[in-house]
Amino acid sequence: MSNHLILKNSYRIVENGDSAITLLFDLPPSEQLTKVIMQLSFLLKRRFPETPGLSELIPAYNSLTICFNPLEFSVQPLKSLIDELLQEDLTGYVYQASLIEIPVCYHQSLAPDINFIASHAGINVQDVIAKHTQPEYLVHMLGFLPGFLYLGGLNPELCCPRKQVPKLRIASGSVGIGGDQTGIYPVASPGGWHIIGQTPVNLFAVGTENPFIAAPLDRVKFVEISLAEFNERSEQVT
Amino acid sequence: MTIHFIKAGLQTSIQDGGRQGLMHQGVSTSGAMDTTAMAMANWLVGKAQISALFEFTIIGPVIEFSQNIHISITGAKFELTLNNLPVSSYQTIHVKAGDKLNFGKRLQGARAYMAFSGDLLFENKVLQDVLGSKATHLTAGYGGINGKAIRDNTNFSIDFPERKSQVSLRNIDHRNVAYSGHNCFLRCVSAPESSLFNAAQQERFYHQTFKVHPNSNRMGLRLEGEPINFHRPMNISSSGLIQGSVQIPPSGLPIISSVDGQTIGGYPRIAVVISADLDKLAQLAPNDNVIFVKVSQAQALAILKNKQQQLSKALHGSATLPIRI
Repeated sequence: MSNHLILKNSYRIVENGDSAITLLFDLPPSEQLTKVIMQLSFLLKRRFPETPGLSELIPAYNSLTICFNPLEFSVQPLKSLIDELLQEDLTGYVYQASLIEIPVCYHQSLAPDINFIASHAGINVQDVIAKHTQPEYLVHMLGFLPGFLYLGGLNPELCCPRKQVPKLRIASGSVGIGGDQTGIYPVASPGGWHIIGQTPVNLFAVGTENPFIAAPLDRVKFVEISLAEFNERSEQVT
Repeated sequence: MTIHFIKAGLQTSIQDGGRQGLMHQGVSTSGAMDTTAMAMANWLVGKAQISALFEFTIIGPVIEFSQNIHISITGAKFELTLNNLPVSSYQTIHVKAGDKLNFGKRLQGARAYMAFSGDLLFENKVLQDVLGSKATHLTAGYGGINGKAIRDNTNFSIDFPERKSQVSLRNIDHRNVAYSGHNCFLRCVSAPESSLFNAAQQERFYHQTFKVHPNSNRMGLRLEGEPINFHRPMNISSSGLIQGSVQIPPSGLPIISSVDGQTIGGYPRIAVVISADLDKLAQLAPNDNVIFVKVSQAQALAILKNKQQQLSKALHGSATLPIRI
């Protein structure tokens, strides 16, 4: 019930090209807001189950982008429906959130920037690992690359601006820190984050029934493993 | 082997209608950048408009065929030859065993497409869908042939060259093909952050000719020109990023998202290219000129409807000749 109050007059629906609209909340990211966004996304999907015109629903920290085919779908009824749904209580989103443990090896050989993060924070490497493995991070959304998790809850002490010059190739599974975010590169890509470790877990298991390990509202905890364990588990994955 | 790529070309990949409904998991649409050229190529070989086909970029391939099949070539204009004799694009071509197709000099546009009759096989296996599509995402490395561009000396074979292919020779009148040339007008409507840009910034965006930077690809097109400067950085929250979004990063130089673009973005967007003009992004080559033009939502819809009508007219009003094998 409580979200009913906070949502009132705290959102707007803006044009995003000719085939999408974006619902923007003027609220900081939070678990409650992610719940509201996911519930709204679920309700819209249910309302238009087989509509060919409604193609994508992209949740983010404090927005929901809705893509449609403008030849088959008109925007005004969609806006009205969103207004109507936001009058209701949206806290009832039923989602069985899981706690996903992700093994990370913080060994120097896989963590080219861990010393830099330690000196930037004015702590030692062991403290970086302790502070990184301590929280249960909230998955706000997936995006950027397939299976990339936007996590909330990084210890402010570990925050560090991105590199000025991005590295051309960061290995898949690399765990990094960029600004106030921490995350895992699901596939090899260029990137400007500071790399503090690597996971043997595949975050984008192409060809399997469920290629993604987490969904919004799940929680992620990093668990430290040794280099030997990393090597062993990497062989199992590949 | 039926289709032997003697030379693969600069960046050749398998594409199709792409993936839908997965952006919330970080999976971009992918697929052919020029969807009209894809639809036409597939129609010419009697297939569904979103069927898998080859996409060539800037430098085309040299191909030898070892089985009789039907093919078609659309999109960017090249000096095409079949067995050293000129051959036209935008028609069904019946190639025979031993025929050699050469993509010569590029004359216009950046991306060409080749469709074929029958099912494509690689290493004797039918190409599998990844997340509902055969489209190749080159940066993230999935779809198509192990997520990679096709290399020199790659062989494909074709199963049932006549199945799925209507047995008729077709062509599309060149007057129905829109070439934008080296000067491209991209029509735009509002993006979520458009209102954060002031009049001077909007003026600079809409009143200059940008040039396409060579470092452009299927993820996005980078433009060069007078930067759209910020007096102070805009702090915006990352949100869903769709095709055609024109982002202004700290450099002030626009980046237009394309088919393989990231699904969440954090740079402010000044505009979004209208759906009807997204195909034009496929045909932009380095140093081509780009001018943005603001239109209303009503105009964008009218342009899209008109484009759709033009396409169906081009496909259904074109001559269909009886087959001459």
